[in-house]
Amino acid sequence: MTAIAAPAPEAPSAPRWAHLRRILKSTPVNVLLVAVGLLWLVPTVGLLVTSFRPAADYFASGWWQAIAHPAVLTVENYRNILHTGGIGDALITTVLITVPATLLVVLIASLGAYALVFLRWPGRDWVFVLLVALMVVPLQMALIPVATLYGHLGLYGTIPGVVLYHVAFGLPFAIFLMRNFYSGIPKDLLEAARIDGANEWMMFRRIVLPLGMPALASLAIFQFLWVWNDLLVALSFLGAYPHPPLTVNIFNKLSEFGTSIDVISTASFISMIIPLVVFFAFQRYFVRGVLAGAVK
Amino acid sequence: MSNITFDHLIKRYTPGAAPAVNDLNLQISDGEFLVLVGPSGCGKTTALRCLAGLEDITGGRIIIGDRVVNDLPPKDRDIAMVFQSYALYPHMSVYENMAFSIRLRKLPKEEIDQRVREAARILDLERFLQRKPGELSGGQRQRVALGRAIVRSPSAFLMDEPLSNLDAKLRVQTRAEIARLHQRLETTIVYVTHDQVEAMTMGDRIAVMREGILQQVGTPQDLYQTPNNLFVGGFIGSPSMNFLTGTVSSDGGSVRLKIESLDIALAGRVAELARTRGNGSSLTIGVRPEHFDTAAPGAADTMRLPASVDVVEFLGNEDLIHTTVAGKDVVAMVPSVRGVKVGDQLELHVLASLVHAFDPQTELALTGSDGARPAPPPAVPAQAPAPAAGTD
Amino acid sequence: MATVPVAAVEPLARPAPDVATGGPGRGRFRNSIAVGLFMGPAAIVLGAIVVYPTVDTIIRSFFDKSGNTFVGTNNYRTLFGTTEMLIAIRNNAIWVIVFPFLVTFAGLVFAVLTERIRWATAFKTVVFMPMAISLFATGVIWRIVYETDPHRGVINSAVGTIVDAVHPPGLYALPNIKPISGLAAQPDGSMLSNNTVQPGGTLKLGLTGILPENIPPGAQDAHAPSGASGGVSGAVWRNFSPGGQIGVIGNGEKGLPGMHLTLLRDGNGSVASTTSVADGSFRFNDVSSGSYRVSVDSSNFRTPFGGTNWLGIQSLTPTSGLGSTARSLLTIPLVDISEIIAMLWIWSGFAMVVIGAGLAALNREVLEAAKVDGANEWQTFRKITLPLLRPVLIVVFITMIINVLKIFDIILGLVPDSSQHEANVIALQMWHLYSRFDYGLSSAVAVVLFVLVVPVIFFNIRRIRG
Repeated sequence: MTAIAAPAPEAPSAPRWAHLRRILKSTPVNVLLVAVGLLWLVPTVGLLVTSFRPAADYFASGWWQAIAHPAVLTVENYRNILHTGGIGDALITTVLITVPATLLVVLIASLGAYALVFLRWPGRDWVFVLLVALMVVPLQMALIPVATLYGHLGLYGTIPGVVLYHVAFGLPFAIFLMRNFYSGIPKDLLEAARIDGANEWMMFRRIVLPLGMPALASLAIFQFLWVWNDLLVALSFLGAYPHPPLTVNIFNKLSEFGTSIDVISTASFISMIIPLVVFFAFQRYFVRGVLAGAVK
Repeated sequence: MSNITFDHLIKRYTPGAAPAVNDLNLQISDGEFLVLVGPSGCGKTTALRCLAGLEDITGGRIIIGDRVVNDLPPKDRDIAMVFQSYALYPHMSVYENMAFSIRLRKLPKEEIDQRVREAARILDLERFLQRKPGELSGGQRQRVALGRAIVRSPSAFLMDEPLSNLDAKLRVQTRAEIARLHQRLETTIVYVTHDQVEAMTMGDRIAVMREGILQQVGTPQDLYQTPNNLFVGGFIGSPSMNFLTGTVSSDGGSVRLKIESLDIALAGRVAELARTRGNGSSLTIGVRPEHFDTAAPGAADTMRLPASVDVVEFLGNEDLIHTTVAGKDVVAMVPSVRGVKVGDQLELHVLASLVHAFDPQTELALTGSDGARPAPPPAVPAQAPAPAAGTD
Repeated sequence: MATVPVAAVEPLARPAPDVATGGPGRGRFRNSIAVGLFMGPAAIVLGAIVVYPTVDTIIRSFFDKSGNTFVGTNNYRTLFGTTEMLIAIRNNAIWVIVFPFLVTFAGLVFAVLTERIRWATAFKTVVFMPMAISLFATGVIWRIVYETDPHRGVINSAVGTIVDAVHPPGLYALPNIKPISGLAAQPDGSMLSNNTVQPGGTLKLGLTGILPENIPPGAQDAHAPSGASGGVSGAVWRNFSPGGQIGVIGNGEKGLPGMHLTLLRDGNGSVASTTSVADGSFRFNDVSSGSYRVSVDSSNFRTPFGGTNWLGIQSLTPTSGLGSTARSLLTIPLVDISEIIAMLWIWSGFAMVVIGAGLAALNREVLEAAKVDGANEWQTFRKITLPLLRPVLIVVFITMIINVLKIFDIILGLVPDSSQHEANVIALQMWHLYSRFDYGLSSAVAVVLFVLVVPVIFFNIRRIRG
C-alpha cells in the first residue's frame, strides 16, 4: 500500500535538471552575442553622444566618459548647425531627390515587371537577361556621357537630372525584384480576370498591383535608402548646386572644417535620422527586399 | 443556341513539336454536360484553354454558337471558367470576387447586387460574402469559384478539374452539387478531369483523349460497354480491364486461344471474331474484373481461365483477387461469399458476351456482324453523333 | 435530339492551316501596344541613362581628354603606368580577397548562433541596422572610433587599457628627462652609471629635464650617499637648482623616489634590483666583491600607450628594398584593414539575414535524419548544413565582390587626407579623374571597373536562368 503512495523519486526533478542544463549550455552563446551586439552598437552610439557634446569636451575626454555624466550633454551643436550649416536646405534637396526617385522607380518597375511576367512577346527572355546584366553595371560607367547629355539638355546640376540618374540605375534591380514577386502570382488569377473581361491595364491595376504591395513596399524602402544615402551621383552632378543634398553637405564640411567634430558628427547624425526611422519602422519589408533580391 | 464546335483544332506549343491537341473534332450541343477525360498530358486541358481563349490556336477553328471565336479575346466569348486552383482574387472579398466580371461589364449596381446575392443563395454562400478567400475552407472556395461563374450567366461553363483540390468526401458531395446546378441552370458545361469515375458519374457524354488525339466520344454506357480501343477499354472502369494476348487456333468446331502455355477455349461472339481473323492470328481479349466469377454459371458460352490466387483484398461485399493466369496478372472482383483464399488454384469464369476483343497491332476493338454487340462508332467521327437525350 | 447547325461550321480541308503563323491579327497588335506601354518607360530610361552611356564610355576610353582625338590604347597604358592606379588596383584586390570571406564567415557564424537564442530578432536588428546608414556617414562614425588619442578613440582606449595593464607606464614618463651626471642613456631606454663601483662604494646619479610639478609628491631633499659595508648605495636625484652644479647634490635638490634600479656585475648581467626611497637614496645589500654598475631601468621612463594610428599608411608587409612599382603593389597599409572592419560592420547584417533565411529554409527532416544517423552537432553542420547552404553562401560572396569593386564613399568619409593616396580604389580614382575633367582617362578607369564586374554578370545570368 505504501509502495503505491511513494512517488518515483527521480521523475519530477529530471525536467528541472534538463532545463538547467539547457540554460548552462546556451549561456556562452548568449554572452558572446550580447558582446557582439554591444560592439555593433558602439560606433553609432559614439557618434550620437559626440554630436551632443561641446567640441572642447571631445578633445578632453572620450565620449564614453560623458555617458556617466549626462549633464554635460547639450543640444548646442544642433542649434548651431540648424542656424548656420545650411542643413535645412540640404534636407529639402535630399527629400526633393529621394521622393520622386523612389516613386518613379516603383511605378516604372512594376509596369515593366508586369510586361516581363504576364505579357508574351518575342525577346522577353533576352530583355530579362539584359536586366540581370545591368544590375551589376557600376554607376560610374555612365557618369561622363550622362554629364555630357545633361549638359545638352540643361539637366546638369539640376535635381531632375539626379532623380533620372537614380531612377535609371535603380530600375534593373527594381524590375528584377518585382518580376520575382510577380512570378509567384498564380497565372490562373490573371486568366480568370481575363475571362471576367479585364483588359491588361485593369489586370495590372486591379489584380497585380494590389497583390504586389508587399514587394512594392520592400522596393520603395530599398530605393529610398539608396538614394538618400548616395554620395557619388550627387557629388558628380550637384557638387556646385547652391543647396547640395545632405551627403554632399557633410562631405563639403569635412573638407572645409577639417576636424571640427562637433559640426561633422551632428550633421552626420541628422543625415542618419530619417533612414534609421525608415529602417526601424519597415524593417520587415526591408529584410524581405534583401531576401528577394539576393536569393532567387 | 450555343453549340460549341471544335473543328480540326490543332494546338502546338512549340513549332515542330508534337501537337498538344491534334486535329480535335467535337461538337457539344446546347445544355450538354460534356466531360473531357484522359491521363495527364493528354491535351484535355489545352483543348479547354483554347476554347476559353487563353491559348492561341495553331490550326482549325473553334465555334461557339455561330461565331468562329479563334481571334476573339476570352471576355468576348461569353464563357465562364472554373479553375483547378479556383483562382480567387485573394485581396477581394467573396462579394467582390463574384462581382468583378459584371462590374467590368458596367452592369447597373442593383443588378450586380441582385445577381451576386442570387448566386450566393444558390451556393449557400450568403454568410461569407464579406470574407476574403483566405478565410474560407476548400469547399467554400470551390463554391465561390462556381458562384463567380454563375453570376455572369454565360452560354457555357468551362471547368478545369474543379474537384481535384478537395478531399474525397467533399468531392463526392460537390460532384452531386455541380450536377444539380447543371439541371437547374441548363447551361452547357465542358468539364475536364483525369478521374474516370468523375467523368462517368457526371457527364452526359464523355470524350476520351490520349496524347492529343480524341479516342472516343459517347455516353458513359457506350464507353463502358463498347470501348473503341484498348486504351479506352483500360481507361474507363475501375479496376481496369484485364488484357490477355494470345494466338488463335481453330480446328473445325472449337476455337482456342494459346496464351503462353495456356490454351483456353473461346466461346460465343469472341469465338466468331477469332475464327474470322483466322488460324495463327494474334488476338487480345479484355475482361473487366467485375465480370469474372469463380462459381460456374452453367451457361453454354462461358469461358474458363485457370488462375492461382496471389493476393486477396477484402472490400466488403466483394473480394478483389489478384491472380496469375498464364504468367500474367489478372484481377477479378468476386462476391466475398465465394471465400477465395491466397494460394487457391481456381477457375475464373466469364460470359463470352462480356469479353472484349482487340487487334493487338492496331489496338482497335474488333467488330463482327454479331447483332448483339452494336458496332462502335469510328475512332474519330467527322461529326459526333448527337447525345442520347435525357441520359440523367 | 439536339442538333448542331452544321451549315455554319464547314469543315476545313485537312491539314488545317496554322493560323498563328498567319501574320499579326488584331489581338497580336493590341498585345504589342500593351508591351510598349508597360515596358516602354523602363526601356527608354535604361536605354538613355544606362545602356547608351555604358557603350559611350567604352568608346570614350579610346579618346583623349577632350574626346575628339582617337588615341588607341594610350589611356590604358598611361593608367597602368601611374602609381595611383596601381595602388587603386592593389587595394581593390585586397578588398576582393579579404572582404567577401570575412563577411560570409561572420554572417554564417551569426546566423547559426542566432538560431540558439531567444532574442534573435533584437540581435538581428542591431547588426542589420548599419545597412540603413550611408557609407559616407559610416566613414565619419568610424573616424571617431579610430581616433588615435586613447582618450578619444574607443579602440585605442581599449587597446591602451590592456597595454598599460601589462606594461604599466613609468613614474618618470616625461618627454625631456635625461641623464646629466654620473650616468648615460642607453639604446634600450635605460640609463647606466658611468663609473663602476665596488661593494661599500657609492654612486651619484643625476637627472634633469624634470619639471617641479612632475616630481612625485613626498620627495625629499637628496643627500650625498654614505657607503655601506658589503653593499652598494647611492642617490638618484634631480640635479637641477638655481645656482646648482652638475654632479653635485645642491641645496634643495630633490631626490627621485620610486626609481627602479638594477645592479649589474660589470660585463655579466643583473645581480639585484631595488627601488629608491623618498630622498632618492638606494642601497643593494650583501653584494659580493667585484666591480658593478647601476642601471636606471627603462620601465621608469615608459610612456603610457599613445594610440595606434589605425588610419595611417604603415604597411603590414615588409617593403624595404622594393622598387617603387613593387612597393605600390605589395604594400598592405593598415588603413585598408581598418576600412575593411568598418565595411564588415555594415555588411555582416546583410550576410547574416540572407544566410539565416537559407538556414530557415533547410529541410529540418534532413538534419534530423543526420542526427538519427548518429552525427553530432558539428558533424551535422559540417557535412549536411554547410553543403546545403552553399548556394546561399555563394550569393552572399558574389554580392560582396560586386560591392567591394564599386567601393567609394566610405573611403571619402573615413580616410583622412594624409592617407587617401594609399587608400585609393578604382572607383575613387575614376571620380578623381572625372572631377579633373580628364574624360578619356576617367572612362578608361570606368571600363577597367566594368571589365572586373563582367565575370559576375555572367555568373549571375547563369545562376538566375538556372
